[in-house]
Amino acid sequence: MENQNTKIVVNDLKVVLGRKTILENINFDVKDGEFLSILGPSGCGKTTILRVLIGLLNPTGGTVIKDGVDITKAAPSKRGMGIVFQNYALFENMTVLKNVEYALRLDKNRKAQSREIAMEMLKAVGLEAHAKKKPSRLSGGQQQRVAIARTLALNPDVILFDEPMSALDVDTRMILRDELKALQKRFGTTMIYITHDQEEAFAMSDRIMVMDNGVIHQIDTPENIIKNPANDYVRRFVVHNLQLKIDSLSRFSTVCVKGDESAQ
Amino acid sequence: MIRDKSNYLKILLSVFFIVCVILPLIQVLANIDAASWQELLQQPKFSESIRNSLTASTLSTLVSVSLALLLSFCLARSNIRLKNMFKIVLTLPMLIPSISHGWGLKMLLGNNGILTKWLGLTEGIYGLTGIVMGSVMYSFPIAFLMLSDVLSYEDASPYEAASVLGINKFRQFTGITLPYLSKSLISVVFSVFTMVVTDYGVPTAIGGTYTTLPVSLLKEFELNSQSGKLSIYGAILLLPAVAAFVIDLLKKEQSRSGFVNKAIKPRKGVVRDLLCYAVCIVMCVVVLFPIVAFAMLSVMQNYPYDLSFTTDHIIKTIDQGGDVFLINSLIVSALVSVIGTAIAYLCAYCTARTTGLFSRALHLMSITSMAIPGLVLGLSYTIFFSGSALYGTLAILVFVNTIHFFASPYLMIYNSFNIINKSLEDVGATLNISRPRILRDVLIPQTRGTLVEMLSYFFVNSMMTISAVSFLANIDTRQIALMINTFEANSLMGCAAFVSLIILVVNLIVKTTFYILKKALKKNKPVKTAA
Repeated sequence: MENQNTKIVVNDLKVVLGRKTILENINFDVKDGEFLSILGPSGCGKTTILRVLIGLLNPTGGTVIKDGVDITKAAPSKRGMGIVFQNYALFENMTVLKNVEYALRLDKNRKAQSREIAMEMLKAVGLEAHAKKKPSRLSGGQQQRVAIARTLALNPDVILFDEPMSALDVDTRMILRDELKALQKRFGTTMIYITHDQEEAFAMSDRIMVMDNGVIHQIDTPENIIKNPANDYVRRFVVHNLQLKIDSLSRFSTVCVKGDESAQ
Repeated sequence: MIRDKSNYLKILLSVFFIVCVILPLIQVLANIDAASWQELLQQPKFSESIRNSLTASTLSTLVSVSLALLLSFCLARSNIRLKNMFKIVLTLPMLIPSISHGWGLKMLLGNNGILTKWLGLTEGIYGLTGIVMGSVMYSFPIAFLMLSDVLSYEDASPYEAASVLGINKFRQFTGITLPYLSKSLISVVFSVFTMVVTDYGVPTAIGGTYTTLPVSLLKEFELNSQSGKLSIYGAILLLPAVAAFVIDLLKKEQSRSGFVNKAIKPRKGVVRDLLCYAVCIVMCVVVLFPIVAFAMLSVMQNYPYDLSFTTDHIIKTIDQGGDVFLINSLIVSALVSVIGTAIAYLCAYCTARTTGLFSRALHLMSITSMAIPGLVLGLSYTIFFSGSALYGTLAILVFVNTIHFFASPYLMIYNSFNIINKSLEDVGATLNISRPRILRDVLIPQTRGTLVEMLSYFFVNSMMTISAVSFLANIDTRQIALMINTFEANSLMGCAAFVSLIILVVNLIVKTTFYILKKALKKNKPVKTAA
């Protein structure tokens, strides 16, 4: 039985595409309001999990439970979830405002307030000044914010992110990380975030799920993964890689300090 | 979960292809019998027409591709001005039927040709020389467009690297340019060869006694429209097209997606540019000659005996039903344009925007028409639909033209769909926006330019085709392009010239209209900026 504050429970998930088994025996849960990162190298099955969760892919076996209800066979739009893709997937022919407003206008209950909600969402991601522009006139970071606003507009209680910052430069990623956390706090949304970047996962997540080759190696808080890596793979892929980054950065920190001193 | 309603559409489109492509083709092949084979093999004319076809097509392909390569190099690798104008003039022959090219040459270089007289030549160019010249005029624009396209996407980086390493120009050409062009050249050679070997317009007009396979097929059809021998001719004509299709398919399988890092900017070169100007101007004059000849001959009393101005040919053309046939052609072309574009669009939507085995099968069916020459397609329709309610109607002409010209517009929109973000439908599914809505509100607005190109392509080609419709049209459904055949048979040069001119003018108007429309649509297109 899942805990009272458990939002999603995934049981014995299995995905076979053609003759290849992509995922097998996948079990995990996500707490309400949690920020869970799924961390692993390319091709390890992270995106497949996301597509099953949102309903874009039928699992070969297993169940997806949300708020105690089996949603394994529910349509993507009936799951109360939203998704943000790496490539933004914005409607290029529409303005920023129309991108956010479009789905709302098709919803009878929200049609009347669609403009108001869309503007509010654009304000939340700091893009109200760009409402009338076409997406192609925005930077990558701004386009990703539009995609987030569009998802938030339908008020989902879970948002899935499929490597949303992979195509962005370092500066924009740092800013967007903070904004995403702030949005999560403001809207209380559960977020499941896919990344292959260890640093990103550790900077943002309440818990991290480390995966490789269709198998979950460990799900735990960032601190516990560092302290007690479940196996050699986690130690190598997560702890060792992070250590390398820290080492290289610490070398330069002394250079920076020396540089500052000489400047003075 | 996702219930793919596009499957119903795929089934419907598959049925369309099975009825309009596969079954007629099977019927042609099933019509082949041993007795007809035996009979044909015993006729010396049969092997002679195969030999003639191979000789004429090989020579035409060599000349056409060489000229196309030269001209596309002149435009892509020089700093000459008026490149767009040269391109428009050089592709003008694409707007008239192949038989008109033959007629144009006849008017210029036939026994009583304008140039024959001027140059004081003793005889005309009937036979192999005429067929090669006419076929080059007819196929050159296609080869030129294909090669210009390939050259415009070439990356400058390998040349810069070669220059830094001190590799001379000749070695750069053999080591970089030729390998880059090799795969495309194979495609161009096969496309041109297939075009020429299956064409009967040029050989009919200027071939004289030099009979090629398509002309033999046509003669056989006039003798007996249900003969098994027709199917044998059809099957033989299918071979080069099928070979071209398979090679193209294999080439695409092997090709890796490349991108242009840096466009090639030709260095300063006055001598080179002057030479390029000369080549382009000479070729433009050669291309424009037959067209000017049409215009002149349509208003000359009786060339070469009476060169006074007359409207007789125009009146005669109208008297013989030219106005009705023109309306027929306009109706059929407009319908082919709209119906063909709609079917090709939906087909490409299914194959490019959905995945699975069914999509791949539909894609293969959609491009199959590339492997069927118009003459064979027309023949297969004659055999398959003969006796049905469709036979003898404008509708069958619409279908045959739609299939005949299907592959190119289909591939245009297929490629456009593939460039558009693949996750749009996924996003739509999560936002409760249905696939038809995404198609209507997002995909169609983003592909308007391609849609206009598709409409134009279907219209222009349908307006001038002869091969696909020659077996199927009757007196009520006759197309204006077919009048050239009739006038040719009655040696009415002025009328044939006038009909060719009408087709050219209509196609020019349509092309210009669609060009303006596309420009207007482009104005509203968002400008891409860096991320």
